[in-house]
Amino acid sequence: MPVDQRRINGPEVSVPYHIYSDFNKKSDKVKHDFSKRSDKRIDSEIRKIFLKTGIVSQAKGSAYIEMGNTKVVCSVFDPRELSNKNGYCMQGEIYCEFKFAPFSCQKRKIHQQNAEEKQYSLILQRALEPAVCLHEFPNFQVDVYVMVLDNAGSSLAAAIMAASTALANAGVPMFGLVTASTIGIYGNHYLMDPTDTEEAICNTQPDNEDDFNHGIITLASLPQHNQISEVFLIGSIDTNTIKQATEILTAANKDICPVLQQCLVKTIMKLHNEKK
Amino acid sequence: MIEVENIEDQNGLRPDGRRALELRQIRVKMGVFGQADGSAYIEQGNTKILVTVYGPHQPRGSTGRSTSNITKGIVNCQYSMAVFSLSSGERKRKPRGDRKSQERSLQLKHAMEAIIHLEIYPRSQIDIYVEALQVDGSEYCASVNAATLALIDAGIPIKNYAIGCTVTLINNPSLEDEDNALGKGVLDANYVEECTPGVTLSVVALPNNDSTSKDGLIVVAQGAGQRLHLSQFESLKARVLYGCQDIRTILDYAVREYLTEQSLPSLFHVALN
Amino acid sequence: MAETVLSSGEKIFILHGIDADFRNDGRRRCEYRSMEIETKLMPQTHGSARLHIGNTDILVGIKVELDIPHADKPNEGKLEFFVDCSATATPAFEGKGGDDLATEISNVLIAAYQTRNAFDLKTLCILPHKKCWKIYVDVLILQCGGNLFDAVGIAVKAALNSTEIPKITAATLDGGEPDIELSDDCIQLDTSNYPIIITLCKIGDNYIVDPTLEEEVCSTSSIVMSVLPNGKISSVVKLGCGSIQFNTFTKMLQMGEIIGLKLNKTLMDVLKEENQFGRQRRIFGFLK
Repeated sequence: MPVDQRRINGPEVSVPYHIYSDFNKKSDKVKHDFSKRSDKRIDSEIRKIFLKTGIVSQAKGSAYIEMGNTKVVCSVFDPRELSNKNGYCMQGEIYCEFKFAPFSCQKRKIHQQNAEEKQYSLILQRALEPAVCLHEFPNFQVDVYVMVLDNAGSSLAAAIMAASTALANAGVPMFGLVTASTIGIYGNHYLMDPTDTEEAICNTQPDNEDDFNHGIITLASLPQHNQISEVFLIGSIDTNTIKQATEILTAANKDICPVLQQCLVKTIMKLHNEKK
Repeated sequence: MIEVENIEDQNGLRPDGRRALELRQIRVKMGVFGQADGSAYIEQGNTKILVTVYGPHQPRGSTGRSTSNITKGIVNCQYSMAVFSLSSGERKRKPRGDRKSQERSLQLKHAMEAIIHLEIYPRSQIDIYVEALQVDGSEYCASVNAATLALIDAGIPIKNYAIGCTVTLINNPSLEDEDNALGKGVLDANYVEECTPGVTLSVVALPNNDSTSKDGLIVVAQGAGQRLHLSQFESLKARVLYGCQDIRTILDYAVREYLTEQSLPSLFHVALN
Repeated sequence: MAETVLSSGEKIFILHGIDADFRNDGRRRCEYRSMEIETKLMPQTHGSARLHIGNTDILVGIKVELDIPHADKPNEGKLEFFVDCSATATPAFEGKGGDDLATEISNVLIAAYQTRNAFDLKTLCILPHKKCWKIYVDVLILQCGGNLFDAVGIAVKAALNSTEIPKITAATLDGGEPDIELSDDCIQLDTSNYPIIITLCKIGDNYIVDPTLEEEVCSTSSIVMSVLPNGKISSVVKLGCGSIQFNTFTKMLQMGEIIGLKLNKTLMDVLKEENQFGRQRRIFGFLK
């Protein structure tokens, strides 16, 4: 973990206090009742999405997305040439940076990227690359910066959608929009768009059962072309369940696509009306 | 902490049963990797070093922009230790980039620059990468030996073998006899012997070909440990050159055996033992 | 490993060969190259393995240390992965050049071993809140000849299989401070459910396993999945800049599962065979 010498990070031996306060409550949480979720959704329902572009005035394109309590902001900058690059590249490049804000998660994150955030940055890049026309800006690099302001579950999917909208808002030539969604699997429950508590539950396996499916799958796809652009699975699931889960996710991704399209149309109409 | 046992034995033997001028068993393999231009692996006792050579090729990065490489080539060395390489039990945090590795890289570069004919490679760069897999004393000298072999495997012409050897002078206060064999310095110390209070001198030399004169040019010398009095320096130097000569014989035999195996057609099977 | 430069004619040749189920070295799409594996070659580590597949060479060393458990997970030990891309593989890995690839591989390993089904961290706990074992898995990539993820996965599993952790004869709390006694006997880790990593490379309309460097350059996307011996998948990541169809993805998953189970069985058989030689086995290391 890189040491940040310019900021005060707190003493190294400090731990968040709520791990001690939850000790008595932990033993009661053995059985999780998934028949009704905490925010009264059914299993296959995703949270409401709020999407707005043009949030960051300094960036070429930007987007802000809210999925339930998860809040993610993304900004995209103009293509620029890299000074220390040698050789001419026939294709452009996308550089993605994914970061959780220090106050966004239950446990404070430091200002520099840790391994998990670096991995999410790579996943974000691979999710966006099939959609962007890289041959339109050879030898240039487009920067995409994503910051999660509040992590209440499925922040990676929200980040991918925010980045895709921001790229479209910036006028980067694209083949299509990228939509993403997350599913949490716990036994035979398929929870669409899990919250952070549901994600934590899906990441652990109950003590007494061995043949138990649990895990989280994030799927990013290009719904207009019926292609999957990125898959990310963590947990312990058998292949049939993965197949069913990806079917549900692909269908959900297709349903989300009009939301992104309408948001972009609204932006254009607003610009058009302002010019009048 | 390492417990210092009584180094002196009745028969003048060291804790691992060797005499003062005896080297550890050296095993060599050249051409370990097919993808590198040259590679060599050496085992000196429990010290295991792997070296690969890439080049000569066009200089990359910032080294290519300096004007000094117009007349002669550049040698670029990197000394890296595996994280699990320390035989003292603990784990190293970073494989390279710390001060000791950078210093070793620089000294290795000096040693290699002494033997490579750099003037026949203008505007080129030769990369030498050392990976120490297990470290049990005199790892720098073993890496110099392996680097020489890797250069031979890569087909880069060199002036002479660059042979490294360490000599350790143990400051044992119970030494009564001045002519005691161990008191004048022991060759090729392992980790335990290097940790005892005393001086370890690592010397890289270009030994002379004829075995009669135990002499040669010293290229790099480095001392570690406590102070060394100048009066004892000459005897240490003589011992270490003797050691370098021995190692040269062993490596030379290994190189000839390897090259004979490679170049002889399969029709002729020559028994080399 | 973008050092390999292929002309478009070579790429088309590889593509057509894979369509006809006949690759450049004569293998079929679902065949692996022959592998050589040796364990316990580094005596200063608690476990080690060396894997040699084609031109890829991986060395794994395991070190076990005593540590204090995390405050929010007092009953669990720790497992840490560290991958080092050595410059011996290619000059581009000099200094910090290989760090990106190293982070990617270590992330795949962390994701593969994350689930309790694969590796139960509770077995590493000695005294809750006070002492636990910390296992450092250090991977050294010496040569890259394609298919790094698979090779690393197999080498790590073999190294963990050969790891010997000292047995604890007494572990008590002496006035709040832990007092541990170790014996000379060792216990082995139960590697029966450790994952195997399989990479499926999509080239043209088909997918192959165990790609060489040239085949990796030709592919636009690949799936890296980790298969547990009990048939479950513990992690899936897609690499590369291309996209895949849903049907292709499902087929790749199924093929990966079948191959993963087969590969795992072969690996465990080979390791058992090696174990039978016992302590008298001659260790070759890099000399062979």
